[in-house]
Amino acid sequence: MIPQFQHQLTSSFILWFDNYLLTKGQAYTNTTGKLYYYEDERLPSTYKVFGSPMKQWVSDYSIPGANVPSGVYVNGTFQGRATGVDNSTSTKIIDFDNGRFLVSGAATGDAVTGSFAVKDFNIYYSNDTEEDLIIEKKFSINSRTIGTDETITYIPPYDQVVPAIFISNSAFNNAPFAFGGENLSTTKINAVVIAENPYQLDGVLSIFADSFNQSIVNIPFTDAPYTEYGDLKSGYYNYQSIKDQYINTNKYYIERVVTSKLSDKPRRALVNDLYVGFIDFDVSIARYSNT
Amino acid sequence: MPAKITNRSLEKELNDFIVAETIKKYRSPLQKMVFTAFDQIKKEMIQDFQNHPVTQEILAGPTASNTSGTLGGYGNLFAFIGFEKSSNPIQPILNILEKSRIEYTKATKTGATFTIILPNKTDIFKETPMPWAFGRSWAEGIERGISGLGKFLYTDSTETSRSGEGIQSKGVIKGGKFKPTSYISALLKEYEKKFLKIDSRVSLIRSL
Repeated sequence: MIPQFQHQLTSSFILWFDNYLLTKGQAYTNTTGKLYYYEDERLPSTYKVFGSPMKQWVSDYSIPGANVPSGVYVNGTFQGRATGVDNSTSTKIIDFDNGRFLVSGAATGDAVTGSFAVKDFNIYYSNDTEEDLIIEKKFSINSRTIGTDETITYIPPYDQVVPAIFISNSAFNNAPFAFGGENLSTTKINAVVIAENPYQLDGVLSIFADSFNQSIVNIPFTDAPYTEYGDLKSGYYNYQSIKDQYINTNKYYIERVVTSKLSDKPRRALVNDLYVGFIDFDVSIARYSNT
Repeated sequence: MPAKITNRSLEKELNDFIVAETIKKYRSPLQKMVFTAFDQIKKEMIQDFQNHPVTQEILAGPTASNTSGTLGGYGNLFAFIGFEKSSNPIQPILNILEKSRIEYTKATKTGATFTIILPNKTDIFKETPMPWAFGRSWAEGIERGISGLGKFLYTDSTETSRSGEGIQSKGVIKGGKFKPTSYISALLKEYEKKFLKIDSRVSLIRSL
């Protein structure tokens, strides 16, 4: 199936959401540290994997002040990842999503270090219900304040970790908008925010409560920035540049946004001492849905 | 030969006099008719709300069965949403609906015009907070969808969680999946139309 309206909306929304949070909230932390070797059977055996204690790394060069890594140091020598239009056969890959460096030809005992910006909140697209996310799921807490604790090594790949924001779209409808068959397409998008402390939670809710009436550029699938390994397709991703390319196309806008927090009494019923909030968006666009 | 009135002020006075006499003659019975019809429709609106399957089920409390069908017949809405046992979540909506009113607006050549002031759905959503997240409205959730958090978070059980790790509730898990259904928005929309049919001289304001 070719990408449909909902696919494009979800993809564009997540890119906007990530950029908006990182830009408005400066919700990242620049850090430097050691990367630890581990095996990952899902990857081709040619790659050696060196993971950091934190994921997801910032990959958007439009975020002011964020240190977007272009490589790591292996035994003191800088190893830059491939850039260019097609880097799918690269021998050096940064997996931003899992916070790790994949390199072929390295030894497992190599000393690997890197500098990178890690997001204060991981962003995930999720099909889970809120009760599954908050009650049922087992999350690792990937604290951003590990300090000098030497016992912490790499964070395992693929599993979702918190603090995080889980985005899902729950409902969609078209309503007549203008003569000639133009409809207003509204999608209800919910975000569940799981934070370590009330400061983090209030910050995220405040940022997105102010996103009312923000417009969101429709970014086609062909411009989705990531490869299958979590690296950047062309070695470079700048949300603002992509946004500028499509600024004159029909845009989505935040028609309504409501934020709320899980109140304290039920929060205390949770096993882990985490803070939970909700952001409910109505995202609309006027379009000819029948053509 | 009929007299011709050339004095403009006299003409205006005469016109005003005719209007005033018309109003005297027609306003009172018109007002009575409009106000009586309004009271009748308002009463019907409140009754319709009270008789709505969702309202009925919530009013029946935590031991009711799922007569509204919103949970596929499992559990009940009161417990699913997570209301406190002693609470009456319906009363705030009734209070708002009761505030619907009609006011005489102004005199016209045809008698008078009237304005009906009705709540809009936002007025109601603001007064119906979800018991576990005050920024959300349970009444809106009936139409839009409600997660099953309430049933987990407000259970009185002290049994431990199912999987033993993670961000789990200490409570027991039971109940079905919620199916959204029309509720407040549809009711208000339906009755807006009915109120406007009272008379062409009636207009609406949709906010208390």
